[in-house]
Amino acid sequence: MSLILAVDDSPSMRKMVSFTLTGAGYQVVEAVDGVDAYEKAQAQSFDLVLTDQNMPRLDGLGLTRKLRDHPQFKMVPILVLTTESSDLMKQAGRAAGATGWLVKPFDPARLLEVIKKVIK
Amino acid sequence: MAEAHQESTSSAGDFDLSQFYQIFFEEAAENLDLMEQMLLSLNLETADDEELNGIFRCAHSVKGGAATFGFSDVAELTHQMESLLDRLRRHELQPNSAMVDVLLESADAGRGLLARHQAGGEGDAPPTADLVRRIKALVAGEMVQTLPSAAPQQPLPTPVVASATVAAQSKAVLAPTPPPSNTTRSLEIRIGPLDHPAQADAIKELFRDIEGLGDITVVACNQADTRVFAVETSSTDADLLDLFAFHVSREQVSIKEVDNVAVAPETRYGIFDGAAGSPETSLYDDPPPGAPLAPPPGFGFFDGAPGAPVPVASATGVAAGSSGSTASARAVAKVASPVVQPEAATIRVAISKVDQLINLVGELVITQAMLAQNSRALDPALYQQLLTGLTDLDRNTRDLQESVMSIRMIPMSIVFSRFPRMLRDLANKLGKKVDFVTQGEATELDKGLVEKITDPLTHLVRNSCDHGIEMPADRVRAGKSETGTITLSAAHQGGSIVIEVRDDGHGMSREKILAKARERGMDVSDQMTDSEVWMLIFAPGFSTAEVVTDVSGRGVGMDVVKRNIAALNGTVEIDSAEGYGMKVSIRLPLTLAIMDGMSVGVGDEVYILPLSSVVESFQVKSDAVSTVGQGAQLVKVRDEYMPVIELEKVFQVPRFDFDKSSDIMVVIEADGSRVALLVDELLGQQQVVVKNLESNYRKVPNISGATILGDGKVALILDTGALVRRSRH
Repeated sequence: MSLILAVDDSPSMRKMVSFTLTGAGYQVVEAVDGVDAYEKAQAQSFDLVLTDQNMPRLDGLGLTRKLRDHPQFKMVPILVLTTESSDLMKQAGRAAGATGWLVKPFDPARLLEVIKKVIK
Repeated sequence: MAEAHQESTSSAGDFDLSQFYQIFFEEAAENLDLMEQMLLSLNLETADDEELNGIFRCAHSVKGGAATFGFSDVAELTHQMESLLDRLRRHELQPNSAMVDVLLESADAGRGLLARHQAGGEGDAPPTADLVRRIKALVAGEMVQTLPSAAPQQPLPTPVVASATVAAQSKAVLAPTPPPSNTTRSLEIRIGPLDHPAQADAIKELFRDIEGLGDITVVACNQADTRVFAVETSSTDADLLDLFAFHVSREQVSIKEVDNVAVAPETRYGIFDGAAGSPETSLYDDPPPGAPLAPPPGFGFFDGAPGAPVPVASATGVAAGSSGSTASARAVAKVASPVVQPEAATIRVAISKVDQLINLVGELVITQAMLAQNSRALDPALYQQLLTGLTDLDRNTRDLQESVMSIRMIPMSIVFSRFPRMLRDLANKLGKKVDFVTQGEATELDKGLVEKITDPLTHLVRNSCDHGIEMPADRVRAGKSETGTITLSAAHQGGSIVIEVRDDGHGMSREKILAKARERGMDVSDQMTDSEVWMLIFAPGFSTAEVVTDVSGRGVGMDVVKRNIAALNGTVEIDSAEGYGMKVSIRLPLTLAIMDGMSVGVGDEVYILPLSSVVESFQVKSDAVSTVGQGAQLVKVRDEYMPVIELEKVFQVPRFDFDKSSDIMVVIEADGSRVALLVDELLGQQQVVVKNLESNYRKVPNISGATILGDGKVALILDTGALVRRSRH
């Protein structure tokens, strides 16, 4: 049973993502922004972090950087959900240590498809 | 695990997203409201990053949700708003009022579109084409062609070398040079057919090695011998071909311009080769089914990042200078700001649940009162413990009631927040300058009252702006500042809330109102006090406005305002000084569910009068009552005659004890008139829990509700407004 940390400041997106993932048999912990996610990541380990990019307090890439500084999260796949797919964004994602990106909007099937590719 | 995923993927297409619509609608409405508030409070000259980012994020969130849930019209509109806001927050454009206007209008249109979706797509969609056009024009304001997705954090540096000009290169981010006149182009470059497709990867390296050449991304292609790249560069085709000539022959290269990257089908996702957590296979060679051929796939993994899949085929190492990327990453990461706190501290509950809770507590209060009444007969010495328990119950019940009532209380800021926008539009329309000041926004009021007070307040604020505040030139002539001020304040005073609308306009003219009243045949005299004169404007159809504007002044209104407020058991007062402004004060009970009442006895019946409408009570002498035509009675109180209403007759109360007769009068005031009610006795004042009679029984004339007394008996609450109106006929 893989445990996924789903981070999004938008309640509707969070619900959608978490519904999709739990429906597919994953366990999901939700976080409302980067700070909340980081705190939750301190408390337990996850098999995948799925984070929105644009959030108050701490954004997706900021969260990625903080998690990568943490030995426990060195190799955990981190996917960043973003509405931007520019190269600048991708470079930033790479530099922050993200595993990959997924462009919003996406449908649940696409989300599961991508997750399947990264989760061990 | 793998099998489980296989299964879920196959069923993933059947996901019903509609179950999330409601959450999205609420969230989108909140975001649009928040955006509006922030836009209105935005200071164009000193707008800081935090504000601009906050506004951007509102549009961004709505767009993300709308796109996900398939509301493409909302997504398109908010996408345009976002593009403009993105340029603002990157300081590529200076905010101006035209932008604020179009964003506000777009927010309205967005609400309209959402409301339509919420109603299941019924009704006409608000037109957005013009808004989109205006936003686009503003976005294009400085740059001929914009590429929102490639726009760097800072202005683009100027070109230095002809063949290797600059684009969105991250290292250049720090250069504070102004934007160049030439623009970045988006190109699709196809290279092939090639004997060794890996040759093309050298092209990719060119972009990495030559600083400022531009950005390149690999695009999925279903031909094995061809490589397709999406390139953003400011170099000319000829320059690029010259560069490429070192690696591939000119005939194998085709360059095509993609005109709008933002709306072109984009990369849907990606996994960086070699990134942490990446899958075993490269996605670039395995594009998801249905992914567009030109520009790249829909997600990505980073080469070499932790957890990334082991790269195969064309992976040629880590892309782009990492120091540069870090700089840009930081810049991107800066967008966050703590404008909205996560909603974790609140929960959404259906109002019906809260009402039910309030009702139950109301019942509990009644039961408690009954117990308290019954216990009075008990001997304190014998039942000491029971009585102590009852005292505790009394205190706990009251605390509980207070807490439960506070659930329904919402801050006045909910009402106040709609006015800045309205006033801004109105002042623009009228050519006036108005500052809007609010005080006591945190003052809490029952939700039911808040909903009902909004319209009257809107009317008063409009009036102040339209009739109160003078044109800027007139104000200067009168020795006032050009900008008028309208103040809206709310404060608790005892058991009521007082809401005031003040303006520093020209106030009301006593003479004009008296003249107008005479013209309308109203009964007025020069001896009337100022406050009596001001009350005249509440008469139906009364207007002293010289010009009827489309804003206000048709004379329908103030009477409606008064009636609406009276219906809430509230009162209105006006104070004005000609030349200095006016003030309208509204006094409302804190809640509609509990009321201060005066109980009066008629025969064996008990009736409750709202204390707010009771003026005085006295014992009447028989010679003070005189009968006029058709049996109507008048009572003379301090040289003033007022109609008498015998409650006994109105409600046909049976009377068994003929010795006893009503000789107590209670004067009540409603709708600006007074009547004297003839009752048997005054029983006292008490707080009563108001029960709606209409929903539990049916509408009864002259009765506004019912309550249960301490002894368990039902008492009816009198509708003072109806009684006063009755006396007029």
